[in-house]
Amino acid sequence: MKAINRFLFAGALAAALPGLSQAAPPDDTIVVGLSADASTFDPAQISSRDNSNIAKHIFASLFKVNFEGAVEPYLVDTTTISEDGLAYTFSIKPDLTCEDGEPLTAEDVAYSFNRAADPANAFTGNTPGFVYTTLGFKSAEVVDDLNVTINVTAKTTLAPGMMAQVLIHCKDSYEAMTLEQAAATPIGSGSYRLASWERGSQIVLEKVKDPGTFDTIIWRIIPEASTRTAELIAGNVDIITNVAPDQVPAIDASGSATVEKVNGTRRMQVGFNLGKGVEGMPGAAEIQDPKVRFALQYAVDVPSICTQLLGAECTRMTSLVNPPNGNPDLVPIPYDPEMAETLLDEAGYPRAENGVRFSIRLQGPRGRYLNDANVVQAIGQYLNDVGIETEVELLEWASVYSPLLRTKEMGPLFFLGQGGVTWNPLYDMSLFSTPDGATNYQSWTDQRWFDDWKLAIDADTVEAARPIIDRMLKLFYDEGPWLQLYFQPDLYGVSSRIDWTPRRDEEIELFAATLK
Amino acid sequence: MSVEVVPSTPVIARPMSHGRREFRRAVRSMVQARWPLVAMVILLLVAIAAVFGTWISPLDPNRQDIMMRLADPLTEGRRNAFFVLGTDGLGRDVLSRLLYGARISLLVGICAILVGGTIGVVAGLVAGYFGGWIDDVIMRLGDIQLAFPFILLAIMFLVILGPGVMNIIIVLGVGQWVTYARIVRAQTLSLREKEYVEAARALGDSTFLIIFRTILPNIIAPLTVIASFNVASVILSEASLSFLGLGVPPNVPTWGAMLADSRDQLMANKWWLAFFPGIAIVLTVLAFNILGDWLRDFLDPRLKTMA
Repeated sequence: MKAINRFLFAGALAAALPGLSQAAPPDDTIVVGLSADASTFDPAQISSRDNSNIAKHIFASLFKVNFEGAVEPYLVDTTTISEDGLAYTFSIKPDLTCEDGEPLTAEDVAYSFNRAADPANAFTGNTPGFVYTTLGFKSAEVVDDLNVTINVTAKTTLAPGMMAQVLIHCKDSYEAMTLEQAAATPIGSGSYRLASWERGSQIVLEKVKDPGTFDTIIWRIIPEASTRTAELIAGNVDIITNVAPDQVPAIDASGSATVEKVNGTRRMQVGFNLGKGVEGMPGAAEIQDPKVRFALQYAVDVPSICTQLLGAECTRMTSLVNPPNGNPDLVPIPYDPEMAETLLDEAGYPRAENGVRFSIRLQGPRGRYLNDANVVQAIGQYLNDVGIETEVELLEWASVYSPLLRTKEMGPLFFLGQGGVTWNPLYDMSLFSTPDGATNYQSWTDQRWFDDWKLAIDADTVEAARPIIDRMLKLFYDEGPWLQLYFQPDLYGVSSRIDWTPRRDEEIELFAATLK
Repeated sequence: MSVEVVPSTPVIARPMSHGRREFRRAVRSMVQARWPLVAMVILLLVAIAAVFGTWISPLDPNRQDIMMRLADPLTEGRRNAFFVLGTDGLGRDVLSRLLYGARISLLVGICAILVGGTIGVVAGLVAGYFGGWIDDVIMRLGDIQLAFPFILLAIMFLVILGPGVMNIIIVLGVGQWVTYARIVRAQTLSLREKEYVEAARALGDSTFLIIFRTILPNIIAPLTVIASFNVASVILSEASLSFLGLGVPPNVPTWGAMLADSRDQLMANKWWLAFFPGIAIVLTVLAFNILGDWLRDFLDPRLKTMA
């Protein structure tokens, strides 16, 4: 029959397609497979990790965070801090240039800082949205060709690490560009230049100066996890991110690549949206009660989620701070659904006749974090098990979930991962630097936390702030706005052709990668 | 001695009604052709799964047990569970999800055809009967819609409306109307000049009655054939959209969504996750196509000769 013939032909065609493959990369080229495309190359507008990973090969910064997680100078030669700790004067290295040959001087550094803060540009990237809020950035002033002063409103031990996030660019080039041009055709100060950007397909960088081993870096956009794995095994890409845990054995057995696991610093949580964005929605009133939030911590079996869905052992978080900087007195809350039910009863939310205590919506992204869709659904099941009728909604990240986050209208429960560091606990805690800050997605307004934050950020050293930090983390543990999950393990597929070691902080730094 | 010849009681064969005669002819034709019979059996099984899935499914299709995830077929689970077709990446029973998935596939397939068919038939009848500017407007609207790739149009609408069974029915239904409108219009153009339509007009029937009581019954046959093919294509479209994550919410099991969930496990050799929903889609679509082929031959034998 014609229908059967058509079906057989289609099947034969489908079977033949996987045989088609691209050529392996040449020796001077390294290819990285990413799950998401960059959205902009304007240094002040970049906000996602993948985007920033590419941009850090194009732009230099005053400082950088090294492989071990320590902050070290990059463009900076020497640093002088004023007595009140509110002015940092940096002497930059001589003879620096931008990609187009323009000399890179203190004027360009000051311009880079001030441009990101200019309200006329209305930038929403990491620099104005997070770095400047935490730093209390005031202004940048030129002292002379090689010296620049950055003024801040509050003394903080976070300053060099935060300034490592500010990407430096040359004034003359950027003043001649519109914002649209700056987003699409960057003129960098780093080792590589953007050679081409085929949206949704690939981004090609070419080396202009040291450091950097490969002449060409190609970032290929491969959204689907199995396709990334297939490309790695076929030898078409050298590194892939976010390997699906179930594909690890296939990669390890391929002979052409292996999977590198690292304990990442991204803090995975179910956020409790306590703000006006979800006011009136089912469950929004119930989670305002800290007792309910604490009870829910017992309802979710985090170690099983890690072993079963992430393919890794992990310890449950006790706070938003990466180890070893957390409060050592806090113990991970165990999975104990009976305790969760008891605490919910005590909080005044007993099961009704139909077994339901209250209903709530749990939203999460699909394809943004490691096995996120399955993790979100599993959490929904755990909450249902203790009588909280949970409606799970999975949303596309870039066009649906991110805008909801920005307007704080997601949830009332929402799954989220936020990048962290190991060099300073205050960096991790700075998500909650103000009650209405951009990264306070939960709209948490507990005054005890924010009063202590001012004390902690003003301390001369982290050690001096330690008692305050521990007190804050205890408060976060007992009454915080997160259902605490895990620090996301990161799985990278690495071709056996190259020598590259992944970092814990999700930065993909290729300067030191080499051919074997 | 006379022999009385008793005349035997005359057996008067009761004339068979037209409907019964046609039904018998259909059954005979189906049995002779064999494949349509197989297709009918498959569709009956799918229909039984769709209607009685709640009762015959062994487990709750949404009940997760991540400690039992990716269990092989014929594995014994915890709490007296037995996974005939194995479990998926969240430890849900594949057989139960397959049975529930049949309901969504058939529901979407049939309802979308009803939506698209109703719009298309009415539009085609009106365009064909009245002609003129009404015909132009309706058919140009159809041309505009056909200028867009359907799947792209469906994705666009579902991104705006959001996922959900009702939304997917509307989107897929609206996507089908042009096919019906074109066929019905062509048929109506030729039928409106027939003597019996003229007669209805002469008897003073209203336009509404002429269109829906005189013309419509005479174009049902080709519509039935098209509908049977369309159900198959709508089921495939639903599977494609669910595969892309635009179909139904994650707690509603569908064959397309099951296939999508199986992607990450294919390299891990968990074949049953893609095989069973895949085979369910293939068999159902094939069955509708075979039945459509047969129905076309049965209702219009001239087409068979031409083929």
